[in-house]
Amino acid sequence: MPPGALTDERDVREAYAAHAPELYGFAVRSLGDSGLAEEAVQETFLRAWRAGERFDPQIGSLRTWLFAILRNVVIDLGRARAARPGVAEKGIEPTVEPFDEALLSWQIEEAMRRIGEQHRQVLVETYYRGRPYAEVAEELGVPEGTVKSRVYYGLRALRVVLEEMGYED
Amino acid sequence: MKTEDCRHWKEALGAYALGHLSREERAGIEAHLEGCAACRAEADSLMSVARLLPHADPAQFGPAPQPPPELGKRIAATIGSERRAQRRQRRWRFGLGFGGAAAAAAAAAVLAIIVLGGGGGSGEPEQHIAFNALPKGVKIGATLKPQAFGTEIDMYVKGIRSGTLCRVYMRGPDGRDVSAGTFRYRWGGDSAATLSAALDLSRAEALVVHAGQRTFVAPLDRDATTNNSSPQEEETT
Repeated sequence: MPPGALTDERDVREAYAAHAPELYGFAVRSLGDSGLAEEAVQETFLRAWRAGERFDPQIGSLRTWLFAILRNVVIDLGRARAARPGVAEKGIEPTVEPFDEALLSWQIEEAMRRIGEQHRQVLVETYYRGRPYAEVAEELGVPEGTVKSRVYYGLRALRVVLEEMGYED
Repeated sequence: MKTEDCRHWKEALGAYALGHLSREERAGIEAHLEGCAACRAEADSLMSVARLLPHADPAQFGPAPQPPPELGKRIAATIGSERRAQRRQRRWRFGLGFGGAAAAAAAAAVLAIIVLGGGGGSGEPEQHIAFNALPKGVKIGATLKPQAFGTEIDMYVKGIRSGTLCRVYMRGPDGRDVSAGTFRYRWGGDSAATLSAALDLSRAEALVVHAGQRTFVAPLDRDATTNNSSPQEEETT
C-alpha cells in the first residue's frame, strides 16, 4: 500500500473537507441538478474509500484522482439516465456536454470566482460583454489606462489560479 | 530606458492578448515584442489564458453552489457502516479459522493417545503427492502420513471455484474406495484440509479427489522412497 493511501475514515473526512465543494460545484454544473450532484459526490467518496489502497500520491494529486472517479460516476449516472427515459424530462434538461469540456469550463469559471472582484469585473465587461474600454472606465470612474492594466493583471491572476488548481495546457 | 519601455507596453499586453487594441496600438506593441523576448514570453502566456476564456460561461461566475452540510455526514455514516460490516465479516472468518484450529488440536490430542496406546503406525515415511494432469491454474496436492487408525491426509487445493465440494477417497488393493471425508474450497484463496481414512497407507493404491463434477486420481507409489506419482484424470461419472 503506498504511503498516503486513503484507507482511514479520517483520511476520507479530510479529503471531503478539502475537495467536496469543488467536486459538488462541478457536479452541479455538469449534471444540471443538485440532487444528482449529491448522489455523484457521495458515490465518488465511497468509491474512493473502497479503492483507497490504490491511491498513490506519487502518481497524481488526490484532487486529480477524485475528479477521475467523479468522471466515471458521472458517466455511469448518464448511462443510468439514458436507460430511464422520462426521468430527466421535468424542468431543465440536464446538459449532455461531454465531461472533459464541462470540466474545462468549470475550471475556468472556478478560477474566475477566485480572482479579485475588480479583475473579474473588467474581464466580464470588456471581454464577455464586448464593451469599449472608455465606456467601462467612465462607468467605474477610473482612467481608461486603469481598465487596461486591470485586464492585464486579471489575466495574470487567472493564470496563477489555474496553475494552483492544477490546470495544465 | 528599456525597463521603462516594458512597463509601458506590459500593461497593454492583456488587451493585446484579448484582441482589444486598435490597429496602431497593435503595431506599436508588436514592434516592441519583436525586440523584447521577456515581453514576448509574457504575451504568449497571456494568450494561452485568453484562449481559455471562450470555454467559460459568465453566468456561472457567481458564488458556486455549496454541498449541503448533511452530505458529508451521510458519506461518513455510509463508510462507517461499511467498515463495521467488514470488521464483522473478518471476525467471523477469524472465528471459523480459530474453531478449525481448535478442532485440529483436539483431534491431535486424541491421536496422541491412540498412538501412545496403539504403539504407533506402520513406520512408513509420509508421502507427498502433487496431482499433475490438472486444468490450468488448478493445484491439488496432498501429504499422506501413516497413522495407527489408517492414513492422515493433508489436502492442499488452489484455483477451483469457491464453494466447490471436494470428496476424497483412498483406493484400497481391492479397488474399493475408502472415504477420507469431504471439504469445501472457500474464498478463492488457498485451501487446506486435514482428513483421515481408515486404510493403511501401505495398502493404498491411489488417492482419489472428486472436485465438483471432476475426478482426479493420483496412483500412489508402493515404494515410498520415490514420491512422484503420475496422476491422471478419470472420465467423469
